Amino acid sequence: MDFDIKETWLHKINPSLKLLFLIVLFISVLFIHNINFLINYTVAAFLLFAFFTGHPMKRILLLLIPFVLIFVSTATSMIFFGKGETTWWKWGLIHITEESFYRGLHLGFRALIFALLGLMFSLTTRPVFLFYSLMQQLKLKPKYAYSFMAGIRLIPIMIEEFQTIRQAMIVRGVEQRKGLANFFHKLKAYSIPLLSQSIRRAHRIAVAMEAKRFSNDTKRTFYYEIGFSKYDLCFVLYFIIAILLSYYAAKMLPFFPVTDVRYIE
Amino acid sequence: MKGLKLTDILVTIVISIVFGIVYKLWGPLYYAVKPIGLHVDQLIYGMWFIAATVAFLIIRKPGVALIAETAAASAEFITGSEFGIEVLLYGIVQGLFAEIIFAIFRYKKFNIGVVMLAAAASAAGSLIMDLYKGYIDDLVFWNLLLFIGARLIGSIIIAGAFAYYLVKSLEATGVTNLVRPASHEDYDALN
Repeated sequence: MDFDIKETWLHKINPSLKLLFLIVLFISVLFIHNINFLINYTVAAFLLFAFFTGHPMKRILLLLIPFVLIFVSTATSMIFFGKGETTWWKWGLIHITEESFYRGLHLGFRALIFALLGLMFSLTTRPVFLFYSLMQQLKLKPKYAYSFMAGIRLIPIMIEEFQTIRQAMIVRGVEQRKGLANFFHKLKAYSIPLLSQSIRRAHRIAVAMEAKRFSNDTKRTFYYEIGFSKYDLCFVLYFIIAILLSYYAAKMLPFFPVTDVRYIE
Repeated sequence: MKGLKLTDILVTIVISIVFGIVYKLWGPLYYAVKPIGLHVDQLIYGMWFIAATVAFLIIRKPGVALIAETAAASAEFITGSEFGIEVLLYGIVQGLFAEIIFAIFRYKKFNIGVVMLAAAASAAGSLIMDLYKGYIDDLVFWNLLLFIGARLIGSIIIAGAFAYYLVKSLEATGVTNLVRPASHEDYDALN
């Protein structure tokens, strides 16, 4: 799989700021109970995700497929089983009401906006820069940041080991059992060696780091110096404007005649 | 005695990254099971609490459960989770709730009961988050009970019992001796 990406302005945002701001956005979305507002807001997040991550359109479209599933599966249980008075359809246990329908849709959009923003973050942030930034701007202790960076480097080795185990089992002719027994057998056969080897490796790395005088001093020097730029301001302004516009548009041109999806007795 | 050494943190985080990848792969599975309906998906939700209990059982030190669950959630987030930023906050809350249970037993009990309790506490933490995010209290009553029940049972089985037996098998490999603090039995063995 090729991994060519164009660096866009989203890549140049300070990773700590991006992360903190996304957490603020997450919490703010929890206070939105008006579905029209949320739909507009989701569109704003979608624009960033679709056109500014620097990934080719084909990959973006591929990543969008699970979003449909997320939307449908999040929305349905509330639509079918939510509280409400104005019945639209009833069949057995399923009881769709106007209230539960809009609430379900609202939850679907909520899941969608979290997914869009989260994926936008992971598509435009390099983990190494994120941890350097967390150390420099948010004073994360180096032992956590470097542990994480070392851990990320171990992932390819784990994948290789996984394949080795698989091939070894084929070569030695390990018998395939059937059904649930096979599932648990396989789970154990893979997870125990993978975990134990990872623990051993992590332990060796830690010993080596300490032997080389790894210190937990926050006043250390850094290979990458990460600061702030005008793109940070762009990012924050984009969302402030998007939120204001979404709110205004929801007031002026609502999609649905509902302003609060919560159930009121 | 107090505080975690670099070794403890590195081992915790590496274990968490392994589970972070599992968490990431669990997302599509969860969404694939969900349309079956009647909250069958909640039965497998418990997998998302397993990093806290497994890491604590391996390293047996204060703070490990919280760090492990947070790190696993971070790994899931960085690899592009379908749930986006919410996994980070859920991870912190779930880890904290499991940590509280281990702290109540003063980090000295490692039996299956305590682990199951910690798993259930994580589930409770996630339910509190769902109250704000998922309007779950607006579900019809019988359906809400089914939802909570399925999640609790699933987490006790996966993050409780399964985690316990997983670490039991790991102990047989001898790898846990590398990272665990010396216990009373170790001291007794010296006498």
